[in-house]
Amino acid sequence: MLDSNLHAIVPLLCVILSALAVMAAEAFRSPGEDMPLGGLGLVGLIGAGASAVALWGRNASSFNVIVADNFSLFITLLLVVVGVLTIMFSGPVVARDGLPKGEYYALLLFSIAGMIMMAMANDLLVVFIALEILSLAVYVLTGIRRDDARATEAAFKYFLLGAFSSAFFLYGIAFTFGLSGSTRLDRVGAFLAAQSMSDNPLILVAIGLLLVGFAFKISAVPFHMWTPDAYEGAPAVVTGFMSTGVKAAAFAAFTRVFLSTFEPFTGDWAPMVWALAVVTMILGTVVGVAQSNLKRMLAYSSIAHGGYLLVGLVSANDIGKAAILFYLLAYAVTNVAAFGVIALLGTKDRPNDELRDFAGLWHTRPALAALMTVCLLSLGGLPPTAGFIGKWYVFSAAVSAGYYDLAIIGVLTSVISVFFYLRVVVMMYMVERDAALTPPVKIAGLGMAALVASIVAIFYLGILPSRVLTFASQSISTIF
Amino acid sequence: MSETLIFYALSGLAIGASALVIGQRNPMYSVLMLIASFGALAGLYIQLDAPFVAVAQIIIYAGAIMVLFLFVVMLLNAPKEDGADWDQSHPLRLPAVTRLGSMLAVLLVVQLTWALTEASNIGGAVSGGHDGGTVSSVRQLGRTLFTDYVFAFEATSILILVAMVGAVMLARREGERS
Amino acid sequence: MDSALAFIPLFPLLGFLVNAFFGRRLPQAVSGGLASAAMVASFAVSAMAVWQLSGLPIESRAIEQKVYTWIASGDLAIDLTFRVDPLSAVMILVITGIGSLIHIYSTSYMHDESGCEFARYFSYLNLFASFMLVLVLGASFPVMFVGWEGVGLCSYLLIGFWFKKKSAADAGKKAFVVNRIGDYAFILGMLALFAQFGTLDFQQLATRIAGMPVETGVFGLLSVAALLLFIGATGKSAQIPLYVWLPDAMEGPTPVSALIHAATMVTAGVYMIGRNAVLFSHAPETLTIVAVVGALTALMAGTIGLVQNDIKRVLAYSTVSQLGLMFLAMGVGAFGAGIFHLYTHAFFKALLFLGSGAVIHALHGEQDIRNMGGLKRELPITYWTFLIGSLAIAGVPLLSGFFSKDEILYETFHQGHVLLWVMGALTSLLTATYMFRLVFLTFHGERTPHAVPSHSAHAAPSHPAPSHAAAHPAPSHSAPSHSGSHLHDAPPAMAFALIVLAIGSVLAGYVGVPHALGGHNQLAAWLAPSFQAIGASAGEVAEGAVAAEESAAALELTLMLVSSLIAVAGISIAATIWLKRRAIAEAMARNYPGLHRLLLNKYYVDEVYNAAIVQPIRIGSEEALWRRFDVNVVDGAVNGAGAIVASWAGMMRRLQTGSVRSYAGSMFVGVVVILGYYLWK
Repeated sequence: MLDSNLHAIVPLLCVILSALAVMAAEAFRSPGEDMPLGGLGLVGLIGAGASAVALWGRNASSFNVIVADNFSLFITLLLVVVGVLTIMFSGPVVARDGLPKGEYYALLLFSIAGMIMMAMANDLLVVFIALEILSLAVYVLTGIRRDDARATEAAFKYFLLGAFSSAFFLYGIAFTFGLSGSTRLDRVGAFLAAQSMSDNPLILVAIGLLLVGFAFKISAVPFHMWTPDAYEGAPAVVTGFMSTGVKAAAFAAFTRVFLSTFEPFTGDWAPMVWALAVVTMILGTVVGVAQSNLKRMLAYSSIAHGGYLLVGLVSANDIGKAAILFYLLAYAVTNVAAFGVIALLGTKDRPNDELRDFAGLWHTRPALAALMTVCLLSLGGLPPTAGFIGKWYVFSAAVSAGYYDLAIIGVLTSVISVFFYLRVVVMMYMVERDAALTPPVKIAGLGMAALVASIVAIFYLGILPSRVLTFASQSISTIF
Repeated sequence: MSETLIFYALSGLAIGASALVIGQRNPMYSVLMLIASFGALAGLYIQLDAPFVAVAQIIIYAGAIMVLFLFVVMLLNAPKEDGADWDQSHPLRLPAVTRLGSMLAVLLVVQLTWALTEASNIGGAVSGGHDGGTVSSVRQLGRTLFTDYVFAFEATSILILVAMVGAVMLARREGERS
Repeated sequence: MDSALAFIPLFPLLGFLVNAFFGRRLPQAVSGGLASAAMVASFAVSAMAVWQLSGLPIESRAIEQKVYTWIASGDLAIDLTFRVDPLSAVMILVITGIGSLIHIYSTSYMHDESGCEFARYFSYLNLFASFMLVLVLGASFPVMFVGWEGVGLCSYLLIGFWFKKKSAADAGKKAFVVNRIGDYAFILGMLALFAQFGTLDFQQLATRIAGMPVETGVFGLLSVAALLLFIGATGKSAQIPLYVWLPDAMEGPTPVSALIHAATMVTAGVYMIGRNAVLFSHAPETLTIVAVVGALTALMAGTIGLVQNDIKRVLAYSTVSQLGLMFLAMGVGAFGAGIFHLYTHAFFKALLFLGSGAVIHALHGEQDIRNMGGLKRELPITYWTFLIGSLAIAGVPLLSGFFSKDEILYETFHQGHVLLWVMGALTSLLTATYMFRLVFLTFHGERTPHAVPSHSAHAAPSHPAPSHAAAHPAPSHSAPSHSGSHLHDAPPAMAFALIVLAIGSVLAGYVGVPHALGGHNQLAAWLAPSFQAIGASAGEVAEGAVAAEESAAALELTLMLVSSLIAVAGISIAATIWLKRRAIAEAMARNYPGLHRLLLNKYYVDEVYNAAIVQPIRIGSEEALWRRFDVNVVDGAVNGAGAIVASWAGMMRRLQTGSVRSYAGSMFVGVVVILGYYLWK
């Protein structure tokens, strides 16, 4: 990160500019005119992806606070994938539900920009601003269906609790600044490594408060309470987006802050993250078993997945760090696709996201049922899907770091979790469709293309993971 | 000595006013209490040798934002917060629950206080060598803001833009768009 | 030829893909033919691979194909490698060979399914075979695990194939859940080995374990790992305590039962222990557990099989029982004998299931043997092949089952486990008895179509089971269309499979004729290298075994005589009771009602599991965690009032007093606990 120029912010700029372009286009749109705003967003995202590829291995940095090392570029590419898939799913959904198109895409792109910024941030202040950018955009996206009381309520809850957690996070930054005199991660890290601070309680308070802020964003127990409500209330496309993008961005910053800056204090923070991982995995899985709403069920599942990612974080070895990246990617592709199926099945009047809405899907829409099955099996971690490799990596990281207990609990919860993913499969294949329910809708071509692409990715990551794993290993070698 | 006294007076004022903000049933009083709290904070900033922040605090928060708040409250014409019966009967209103909540708050304060005193006892609370040196003068502040923190500063504009889009989005009346 | 191994699982996989994506548009003959052709092609490649293998010197008898590096990072590298060694050679031949026959049989059996369902069936069947082949060909634990999970999933899909029958869907679910419990232990065992040895390749593991001391009298890491793997095996191979899914698994189409019970799935556990023979021989304590569990399962399933009235259920319990014998063999260290029995069992169990399928097919879905009888004349092919299968499983001399079962019993006795031998012998007696009870009740005597209300009748209208000629004139069948009470025997495709399997059931045992009878037990010698670490001189050990066996020839001959007598005795008992004096059976059921009910209800194991495990978990999750915690605390605030009042004011009210506070409270607790923990330290 020696050469400081503007290269590092190019991916970020691409996304921000496309968001601004969407806003401008919306402003000049005559009423009733249909503009390909999603396409504008795609252009920006692809630009971001291309520049990220071009920057690979260059270790560029801008303003000393934005670093485009391989780690952040990996996350950037992941976010580009999530964004592209989300926009592809959004096309039909936005038109169907009559969502405000311009605002929707602008906010989506802004939140992606926030996520990329968070992944690239090398400064706690920038982390915070990025966190707020993505959070604000996601709060509004959650409540974008204003005629739906549940959506508005979910957005409001998410906003209040998000503000609450941001306060803790900011407080943590303040303590860190107070101790080290800098918000720059590299300087804080150097300061902490040089100084003997192990007897200073303030550093622990700072770590604890930052941990709270991150734990909220990755919905670790007990900071998870907003998750089921927000995920249920938001439109399914947005849920798929925020359950993956926000988590990826938060984990990127979490990993960077805790595994590089606070690395000297691993012994101090690890036990607490260990505990968070355990309760998160257990609660996410056990409560997930009893859900009858698919979005709610996947919300608990995503809580549990956060727990598995925490296992990788606690392990803190090379396998664990690479595992976090790979797992994030596997989980992102799978979860976006799963929520994509839900989104495509909904209608304007009914979200069709109850478990019983999926009854007999195999008979009415076999392709969709098959794609959903693959997603669910991947979430459950069955081979040969992406989810299996991700879990395998995380657990072998835990084992090689000596955390046998985490591996045992992780395997147990993932075995139990298959039960509730399976319930959906049972519904789709083995239950007669309730005639009273609305028949599934016709699926738009773009959405189907996105689904097929995700499924190909799931199998690619499950069957030929080594290439991506190599990238993941390269990514972590640059910063840690 | 007098500085310490002023510090405690101002912080007491800030905390007390903040507590009253959420303790009021009348929103108008809440807003006024908030202004008092901000004023006290501005005093604290002056004590911390940050006059620019103090002035900005008064102009922006106590001035602009609070006026906006007052207008909103007056336009809504809500003289008193609605406190209905269910409010009292809700399970979370049970004395045990409320007590638990207050206990948690007290615990947090105790923890932080303990940590701070402990840290100052061992003399490691604050280290020197802040980025950009002292930031007392406006010139210095501007320089720092537009060198070290320029990216954060610019990024904030995106944040504000998002907040604006979001606010417009949520506040717009139904059926306004074709 | 070196690189052809991948084609063995690849052919069925391709068949699956074609049938899954285009099957509904293909005519039945094409989709069924394609699926069968894929299996036959896979069989051909397997045969070539085994032929090539047999040409290699004994010390290096293994063909490997590294397809690519599957997972690699840091010190952990797992290749997707397929390996054929003598053990997996036997397995792939059994799977592809018997699998092909079952596919061919199915083309006729599933004839009445709609085109879409037909294609779905064959796509599952092919996928199943493909995963099973990955399981046995995998050169390392993770690759094996792919197959291991895959067959679990496919068995679930196939058992629940006729999902409109609730019992079928439930059985599928049960199979999957029980298997997952086993899988849990399996993954843990795998991780334990990984943590200890840093590799999961079977050969490397064996080499490293061979260098470690045998854990006699202690329960060290190897024993724990072996025990975990064994628990995994009990799930797949239906042993106590996880056997409960297999008897229910007969809810699937009958050829599927044949596939699951004979060629695939249940043999996975036995195979896995054979594959890790070195590990298990270093963990004698675990081996004892294996032997005892195997013997107990064998005996218990045998007693249950004695009183069941569903033709497939009897066969299902006989599978559990025979698998118990295989585990007994594994447990006494006679890995070769266990695999030998697995191999012969594959023939006659496939034969018996397919034969029972032919009976059910002819009787339009009737499965209760009390409603059968006298089918001997009307279904001659089925009868004679079924009889051969029964004789083989009963252990009548000179048929395949005799040799393999005898070897297990001999080894058990020879190793000094007299009590286990008694249990094994008793199981043999029971096997002969219940199998011939089945034969006599089904094929002999007079037909009694409505003796008891048909078990499957209620399901008939709702599921498209093989309700056959009555509804469809079946023009494609060469058999003339009978009317009324006349039944027709198995159509050509089914008859072909039955006859081939019958020949196999007679002859399969002759690859393992014991030395005592002047044979050479080629199979044992063939398999021996697979049960040692590379580097141990395979030839020597095999010779040692030969020498030992010769010295014990007299003992073996005696035992052989005993088991022959047992088989004959069992058949005679069955003949006396169910052929000559049926009253005896009823009298016994009357005189010992408690015992009868206990057996009929399968020792109430399902009920106990339900009460002790399933209900508490369900209640714990739903009632305590979800209803109390989530619904009351979280949802109560949201939905408590019933329908959502879609007004801002109403919503804001609920928001203010309701959940957000409790959410924030939960976060607050988290903050205080985290800070408290850090400050406490």
